[in-house]
Amino acid sequence: MKRDEWAVLVERRVLSADAYLLFFEAPTLPSTSLPGQFTMVRTPGEGLLLRRPYSICSVEPETHRFSLLVKVVGQGTGALVELPLGSGVHCLGPLGTSFERPSAGARAVVVAGGVGIAPFLYFCESLAQNGMMARVLLGGRQARDLYLKDEFVELGMEVVCSTEDGSDGHRGVVTDLLMDALEGPRPVQLYSCGPSGMLRRVAEMAADRNVPHQVSIERRMGCGMGCCLGCVVFVSDAIKQDGNGEGNYRRACTEGPVFDADRIHWDRDQHPL
Amino acid sequence: MTEVRPSLSVEIAGLTLASPLIAASGTFGYGTEYLDVADYSAIGAIAVKGLYLNPRPGCPPPRIWETPSGMLNAIGLQEIGVTRFIEEKLPGLRELGPAILVNICGSTVEEYGELARVLSDVEGVAGLELNISCPNVNEGGILFGCDPDLAARVTELVRSNTFLPVIPKLSPNVTDIETIARRVESAGADALSLINTIPAMAIDVETRRPRLANVVGGLSGPAIRPIAVRLVYQTAQAVKIPVIGIGGITTAQDALEFIIAGAQAVQIGTMNFVDPSVWSRTRAGLEDYCGRHGLASIAELSGSLHVEGVVPSGY
Repeated sequence: MKRDEWAVLVERRVLSADAYLLFFEAPTLPSTSLPGQFTMVRTPGEGLLLRRPYSICSVEPETHRFSLLVKVVGQGTGALVELPLGSGVHCLGPLGTSFERPSAGARAVVVAGGVGIAPFLYFCESLAQNGMMARVLLGGRQARDLYLKDEFVELGMEVVCSTEDGSDGHRGVVTDLLMDALEGPRPVQLYSCGPSGMLRRVAEMAADRNVPHQVSIERRMGCGMGCCLGCVVFVSDAIKQDGNGEGNYRRACTEGPVFDADRIHWDRDQHPL
Repeated sequence: MTEVRPSLSVEIAGLTLASPLIAASGTFGYGTEYLDVADYSAIGAIAVKGLYLNPRPGCPPPRIWETPSGMLNAIGLQEIGVTRFIEEKLPGLRELGPAILVNICGSTVEEYGELARVLSDVEGVAGLELNISCPNVNEGGILFGCDPDLAARVTELVRSNTFLPVIPKLSPNVTDIETIARRVESAGADALSLINTIPAMAIDVETRRPRLANVVGGLSGPAIRPIAVRLVYQTAQAVKIPVIGIGGITTAQDALEFIIAGAQAVQIGTMNFVDPSVWSRTRAGLEDYCGRHGLASIAELSGSLHVEGVVPSGY
């Protein structure tokens, strides 16, 4: 059940010059959210109207805590990271679809670019709790963009990094690491989140090798509840089943944010954030 | 002494609504989306997402952009068509409590007429809101609402095809709201709702590209409220049928402005996205206001603006 809960900021961890991990305390969100789901946060701020969607980054149901990874990109994110400790915000959730764990015998490979790593800490925690591990491919412009690297290592995940300037790991883009990750005898289940160019490249490589791939799509959202139709993604399956009545657009907030990547029509889904 | 709760019940176009608060079309989906988080007992009616005869895909994204205290959208009426609405959505809506108003759109005058005929034959539809004011579709929409003759023709045809209350939804994008309001009134409208969004746009100066794929969209939210209050005030003076006020309502105070200006009921739209508790808050605020002002019923307040001693400067 979705609820609009008052979440109190209890800890602000600085990840880099412009990125923070914010820990909130809320009654039910930490115990009802699934990995990959998100919450709509009502940010205080002069003239700011709409809520902002954030992936649930981690949960601690025993302490009623959850965290959000926030990179300052504009007014809304700026206001959220400046919230004083002990103050609260309304968080509506849990919202959207979640990641499915890999089928028995399959290896999980996570590909994340920048803040696209946000939904995967909770996901990898749930893997670890079920005795599974993942190879986590983290990409960013520079070393400081590789958020939460240590947390993934602590969970026992195999972390491989790439940076465009070579300041950590492979010099290049994160998809350069993917070929190697897809090698091996056991089938792979791919998970990705990040900039759309990266997602598209991952989806193409996965499709070439018939690797199942779940992608978390980031969109501007108005409501998060399926009502405003502002966050749509262009899907190709609707073309095949023409006449189903909804055209080719699916809501990232309701039918997503986690989609099977082979549904996305990457040519038609060019969506500048 | 027992305290008598003021009545929020209102009569509009032959309908008795338990509350003067109506969910605005396009902001409340097909009605059930907010069941987990909104208090439906505070909602008098729900105007469902605009429907054509056939499904429509809507505009390409990006479809929304936030502006100061406002929201710009060009959704382009993505919708499932009337047949699927009747089969899949309406059965669940009948059970909810609020009266169901169906917002209908057409690419032609005849399409409005056909929709009215189809929707009059099914159980659970309380009234028809005529969308003659959407700024984001190529045919129909705002074209009908900006031309008094076309607006009257749509209203007349719908009127002759249904016994349901007919509520044209007016655009703010006209020079003379009174003329269009009077024309649809004499064409048979039972009430009017206004305003739809205001045509508007925003630009990313770095890329020099429009913020919306449709280039132009419609502005909603608190930013447009004073414009809406003025148009409701003028319209209520011009017609005898009830007026439903719409535009950036976030609190009971905001709703009261519209009611005092002449509205019998109001619609809440964009605020649904921001705060689903707007329904219970606004209802409580209206009851509190009636109590403080000694009103037995909210209906007494409609059009009670005091203008004695004020010299209007003309508009």
